Amino acid sequence: MTPPALTEQLAELAVGIGANVQPGQIVSISAEIDLQEVVREVAARAYRRGAKFVDVTYYDPGVKRARIQHASPDTLEFVPPWYGRRVFELGESHSARVVITAPPDPQAFDGLDPDRLGRDQLPALSEWMEVLSDRTVNWTIIPYPTVPWARLVHPELDEDDAFDRLCRDIVHVCRLDEPDPTSAWRQRSAELADVGNRLNALDLDAIHFEGPGTDLRIGLLPSSSWIGAVSWTVDGLEHLPNVPTEEVFTTPDPERADGRVRSTKPLVLVDGSLVRGLEVRFEGGRAVEIDAEQGAEVLRARVARDGGASRLGEVALVDRESRIGQLGTVFYETLLDENATSHVAFGSAYEEAVSEEDVPRVNKSGTHIDFMVGGDDVDVTGITRGGERVPLLRDGAWQV
Amino acid sequence: MNEADLSRLADLAVVVGANVQPGQIVGVTAELGHEEIARAIAASAYERGAKFVDVWYIDPLLKRARIEFAPSDTLEYVPPWYGKRILSLGDQRGANIVTRGLTVPNALEGLDPQRAGRDQLPRVKETSVIVNERTVNWTIVAYPTVPWARLCYPGLEVDAALARLWEEVKHVSRLDEPDPLEAWEQRIDQLERAASALNDADLDAVHFEGEGTDLTIGLLPTSIWRMARWETADGVRHLPNVPTEEVFTSPDPERAEGRVRSTKPLVLSDGTMVTGLEVRFEGGRAVEITADEGAEVLRGRTEIDDGGARLGEVALVDGESRIGQLGTVFYETLLDENAASHIALGAGFTFSVESAEDRARTNQSATHIDFMIGDNDVDVTGLRRDGERVPLLRGGVWQIAAVPAA
Repeated sequence: MTPPALTEQLAELAVGIGANVQPGQIVSISAEIDLQEVVREVAARAYRRGAKFVDVTYYDPGVKRARIQHASPDTLEFVPPWYGRRVFELGESHSARVVITAPPDPQAFDGLDPDRLGRDQLPALSEWMEVLSDRTVNWTIIPYPTVPWARLVHPELDEDDAFDRLCRDIVHVCRLDEPDPTSAWRQRSAELADVGNRLNALDLDAIHFEGPGTDLRIGLLPSSSWIGAVSWTVDGLEHLPNVPTEEVFTTPDPERADGRVRSTKPLVLVDGSLVRGLEVRFEGGRAVEIDAEQGAEVLRARVARDGGASRLGEVALVDRESRIGQLGTVFYETLLDENATSHVAFGSAYEEAVSEEDVPRVNKSGTHIDFMVGGDDVDVTGITRGGERVPLLRDGAWQV
Repeated sequence: MNEADLSRLADLAVVVGANVQPGQIVGVTAELGHEEIARAIAASAYERGAKFVDVWYIDPLLKRARIEFAPSDTLEYVPPWYGKRILSLGDQRGANIVTRGLTVPNALEGLDPQRAGRDQLPRVKETSVIVNERTVNWTIVAYPTVPWARLCYPGLEVDAALARLWEEVKHVSRLDEPDPLEAWEQRIDQLERAASALNDADLDAVHFEGEGTDLTIGLLPTSIWRMARWETADGVRHLPNVPTEEVFTSPDPERAEGRVRSTKPLVLSDGTMVTGLEVRFEGGRAVEITADEGAEVLRGRTEIDDGGARLGEVALVDGESRIGQLGTVFYETLLDENAASHIALGAGFTFSVESAEDRARTNQSATHIDFMIGDNDVDVTGLRRDGERVPLLRGGVWQIAAVPAA
C-alpha cells in the first residue's frame, strides 16, 4: 500500500540521521506487527551499513487482546524476566535502536475492561527508560503511514484519499519533500539548538502555562538545561531520538508543579487506548486529580504504577513554526502530536538535561507519557531566578 | 478456515500437544502469517490458566535481508538473549508451542547457499538443552496457510487448495474425530506397544533396504525406542509433535554404513527445498551428500559442527499412519516424517538412551535435520545382538508379534 519510495526514504532516515547505525552494531527494531514491510527495509539498510545483527521485536495487539480477555487477573502485571534482560543486554552491547510507530488501531481493545487493560503495560518496558537514560544506545523513533491510521486521522475522506493524504503529511513533516532531507534535518536541528541556548541564557527557575483551563507552574532544577533535537550517546554518537522533531525540552523538578492543565490534543497510549479531554491538577509536583472525557481510568492506572509516574519528567516547548503544528492535523500519535505543540510528560526524565549533582533529583519511573498542553492561545512565560517574568511563547511564536 | 477450526486447532496445540498447565509461561514460535493461530493459541492457553503467553514471531524475509546484506563474518552470530530466553523458559518450567506452515515459498531463492547455511536462525542451539533436560512441555502443530496449500496442491484453485489442506491437516491431526484427545490416546497406545516390542527385541542395528538404499545403522547398547508421548521431569505428559506416528531412538553416531536415498522431499527450517537426496555414510559420518536440488545448503548445515554429519535419530513409521495413507507430499517435515521411517542428521536425544555412558555417546550438534527414507518398498530389518535378523517392517506393516495391526 505505502509507496515503496516512501518506505525506502523513511527507512533511510531511520538508519541514517535518525539512529545513525554504525558498522558492527546490533540494531534493535520495535514495531507493531502490521509494519513488516518497513521493518524489513530498515533491517536491510542496517545490514548494508554493516550492522552485526538486527533484532526485531514485534508487538501484536491481537495477542494482547487475548490476554486482557482471558488471563487470570492476578497475572496481568507479569512480564517474563527475559523481556527486560534483552533490553539491558542491548544497552550493554551499545546497540542502535529504531522504533517504527503508527498509532495502534483504536478499536483493537474495544469492549475490554479498562482496569484490566491498564494493568498490562506491554509493549512498554521500564528497562528501556533506564537504558535510554544511560545513553548507551543511539536511537530514533520514526512514523510509518498505515490505512487504519489514515482512517483515524481523516475520517471524512474515503480510504484511499485518507491514506494518500496521510502519506503526504508524513512526507512533509519528515521533510522528505526537501531535496536533501538529511541536510534539512541538520539545519532544523541547528535552529532548535539555538533556541535551546537562548533559553538557557535566561537562567529560568520555572515555566508558567496559561490558557483556557490551564494555569500551571512547573519548577526547574538548578541545572535544568534546554535541549533541542540532537542527542549524543556516551560513545559520542550523534542521533535524532525523534524524526520528526520540533521541540526544545528539559527535565523539571518533580517536586514543583502546581495548578491545573487542560490537554490541547487527544493522547493515544502505547497500547492504543485513547485519552480525550484530559485535565490534570498538580500539587507539590504530583498529579492529584486526573479527569478526562474518555480514557481517564486507563491513564490513572498507568500513573499509579510507581511513585514517579504521577510526577513530571519532561517539559517541552514547540513554536508554531513546527510543520506539524502548521498542518493543524491531529495525528493521534504522540511522536507527531507532541511535536505540534508544547507538552509535558508524566514519568521518567532525561538525565542528560541536568548536570551530575541534579541527577539524583530527576523523576524516576518505569513509564513516560507525553501529553500536549500548548497551543496558540496558551501563553508560556518563564520565571527567572530573580523573579522576573519573561514571555517565551505568545500566540505560538517565540519571544526570546 | 473458520473460527471453529481455528479454535479447535489452538485447543489441540494447548491441550493435546503441549498440555499447558495453570500458571505456566507459554512460549509460542510462529512465522509472520500465523498471527491468527498465534492469537487463538494465546486465548486458549490463557483460558487454561497460563500465566503469560510469549509469542515470538519469525520472519523468513528478515532472514533473507540478513543473508543478502549482512557482513559475512557476522552470519553465525546470535545475540545471547535468544538462548537465554529459551533456557529461562526451562528454568521457569514453561510450555512451548511451535506452529508450522509455509509462509514464504523459496524465501532464500537466489542467495549464496554458503551464506544461507551459516545462519541457523530461527533455530537456537539452547533448544536442545531444554529438550534433553525435559524442563518444558512442548509441541509442534501444523497450521494451514495459503502458500503451503499452493505448494501441496498446485493443480487446485487457491481457495480449494486451502480448504483441502485444512481437511487433510484436520484428518491427520485427528481433529475430525468426535473426541481428538481420546483418539490420540488410542493411537499412542499402539505406538507404545510397538516401542516396547522393539525394546524387547534387543537390537544392535537396524538395516534399511530398498531402491537406492542399503544402510545399516548401529544402535548404542542402551538405546531405547520411544514413542511420541513424552513426560517432563515434573511429570507433565505432552506430545512433541501433533500429529505423531513414529517410534524412534538415538543411534550410535559412529556406526552407519552404506547408502540411503530419501523417499520424500525435505524442506529445511529456512524454507530451502532438498529433493532427490542421496547420502553415503562411512563410520557413522555422511561422507557424500548429493541431491537434485538443495544439496549445497544441506551440506552447509551439516558442516556447522562435527555432529552435523552424523545421525542423532532413527525413527520407524508403519503404513497405518494417517499421513502415509493420504499419500500427500506436504513438503513439511512435521507431517512428512510421520508418513515414513526417517533418520536425522545432528543432535541426538540423551533421553532415548539409558546409561550415562551411552548418553555421553549420543550425537552432539547444534542442528537436527530429519529426512525420510522409508516407504512400503523399503524393508526394515533389525539385527539382534546374537546376530539374528528380525524383520521389522515389510510392505509398511509391522512384523514383530507384539504389535497388532492398527
